[in-house]
Amino acid sequence: MPGAERALRRQTAGVAWHLVLSVVTLAMIAPVLWGILTSFKPANEIYSLSPFSAHPTLEHYAHAISEWPVAQLIGNTFVMAAGVAIGQLLIAVLGAFALAYFAPSARGLILTLLTISLAIPPQALIIPQFLLTAKLGWLNSDLGLIVPQLGASALAVLLLLQHVDALPPSLLNAARLDGARPLEVLWSIVLPALRPAIAAVTILVFITTWNDYLWPLLVAPRQIDTTVQIGLRQFETAEGTNFGGLLAAATLTSLPILVVYLVASRRITDAFLQSGIK
Amino acid sequence: MTTSTIAGDIQLVGLTKKYGASTALNALDLHIPAGSLTVIVGPSGCGKSTLLRVLSGLETATDGELLIGGLPVAGQDAGDRDVAMVFQDYALYPHMTVAANLSFGLRLQARHDRRGGPSKAEIAQRVAQVGGLLGLDKLLHRRPAELSGGQRQRVALGRAIIRRPGVLLLDEPLSALDSQLRASARGEILRLHREIGATLVLVTHDQHEALSMATHLVVMDAGAVAQSGTPEELFHAPATEFVATFVGSPAMNLQPEGDGRVGWRASDARISMADAAGATTPDGLVVEGTTETCEFTGDGQQVTVRTGERVGERGERVDDRSGDRSGDRTFIITQREGERWLRVGDPVRAVIPPSQLHHFDRNGLRRNA
Repeated sequence: MPGAERALRRQTAGVAWHLVLSVVTLAMIAPVLWGILTSFKPANEIYSLSPFSAHPTLEHYAHAISEWPVAQLIGNTFVMAAGVAIGQLLIAVLGAFALAYFAPSARGLILTLLTISLAIPPQALIIPQFLLTAKLGWLNSDLGLIVPQLGASALAVLLLLQHVDALPPSLLNAARLDGARPLEVLWSIVLPALRPAIAAVTILVFITTWNDYLWPLLVAPRQIDTTVQIGLRQFETAEGTNFGGLLAAATLTSLPILVVYLVASRRITDAFLQSGIK
Repeated sequence: MTTSTIAGDIQLVGLTKKYGASTALNALDLHIPAGSLTVIVGPSGCGKSTLLRVLSGLETATDGELLIGGLPVAGQDAGDRDVAMVFQDYALYPHMTVAANLSFGLRLQARHDRRGGPSKAEIAQRVAQVGGLLGLDKLLHRRPAELSGGQRQRVALGRAIIRRPGVLLLDEPLSALDSQLRASARGEILRLHREIGATLVLVTHDQHEALSMATHLVVMDAGAVAQSGTPEELFHAPATEFVATFVGSPAMNLQPEGDGRVGWRASDARISMADAAGATTPDGLVVEGTTETCEFTGDGQQVTVRTGERVGERGERVDDRSGDRSGDRTFIITQREGERWLRVGDPVRAVIPPSQLHHFDRNGLRRNA
């Protein structure tokens, strides 16, 4: 029977596909899991190949909490990530709305430029950006961590523009005929319709910024002003790397992001699916 | 040209709208009388929707003059004109309740003009009034997604009339409704027109709808007005062949005459069986043939015999023969011969009195206008 054969083939393909996905997932979470497990091992077992420790310990956590400014660093990182996310969101909402609502004649050109800016590696801009930030006296400050990163809002603008463009034009026209001024159209009609997209873009930018390494390393190298990602370097010393402390601190500082994930996992999945990025 | 300052009076002079190289409206002249229910009808692409958008202020004319209530509105933004619009897809604000949809414009007015704008009590009172007028009283707290198509349309109508505009524009208001709802919605619009006294400008591609609703009918073709006037004028004295074939159903029959053409309506033809009618010499145009060469159709109780087949008892034409209406000898007549129903292949003749003939010259313009 061809029907049964086809069903069987489809089933086999499904099983094979899930097998591939399982292997990939395992490969992705294995290092994380290994790191977490290792953070519970005493120093003399750090290099052992057994995943579980014979004498699990919390000494690295105690060390990380007492010797390392964990709250301060998480606070700094949060301020930076939230500041960049909110700032980029403001730019993206206003930019996307203006491009869609006023449809300027240079719209095509602007979109091309925004897309080109995505292709420029951030590393290529980092020296002039650093010099400018230094000249402004923003080194080792939240301003220095946040403001220069708002220049990279092109992706957020393009993502939101897709959503504004997808709104029925008659909806915006109806508001205009009802006497709404442009900002009132934005506030009363566009923003409520865009709420899911805005949430997605915010989360996307927040997580990307939280994990950023290069910019905070340059702008805020001092231990007390810097972010979690840079702060972890402190466990690499001239005498070698304190892997236990490093992994304990990394685990601790992953917790806030983990909480964000758990609370908004659905939104995050949507955000990444919609943006076509991972 | 007389300019009046009556609210709701619309005057268009040489109005042109171009999109790049293409011309949507071509030096269009039109007067829409205050308080009329003006229906603009035409084939798709004739510019009727563009005209509506220019009237509303959503589009700016490339050239020409537009007066609403006797005053030029060129510089006025859409929201500042005395004009409201019902969109084809209704465009209800999805996250607002029916009451919030209705009051949105008034609330903006109150915010923009704290002294002259309506008070909270007045807004509530007008929402209640419009809700009552359109039978939306019990739906005020619902959201658009929870409404049926007909209810959504009534909300869209309500949102448009709550600001008491002098001009109400309706873009294909019935096209999104199924045929049952269409009749009641049509009645609703007519009733609304009587009650609010505004000028209604309704765009449609359905000439049935146009003839049945309009007090003032405008036929558009290729970005210009082909003819405007009362529906009777357009039906009985079409200015061009285009208007003649576009207005009325079944469409006017046309056949060659000299260097132009002559047209006649099926309803004006006196039909008889050909063999019985030879005795008298008729005065007027005589069309002879069999039911295979003549096409018969009808309405109401009348018999329908069409080329090669009989169509139902009601005899609505189901096919679109517009392509071969002009040159060949397919005619549309709506009569029957006494008690006997015509059958396919019957010889028949139709006599059309001279007064009912429409003569067009080679350019399709009416000769005896």
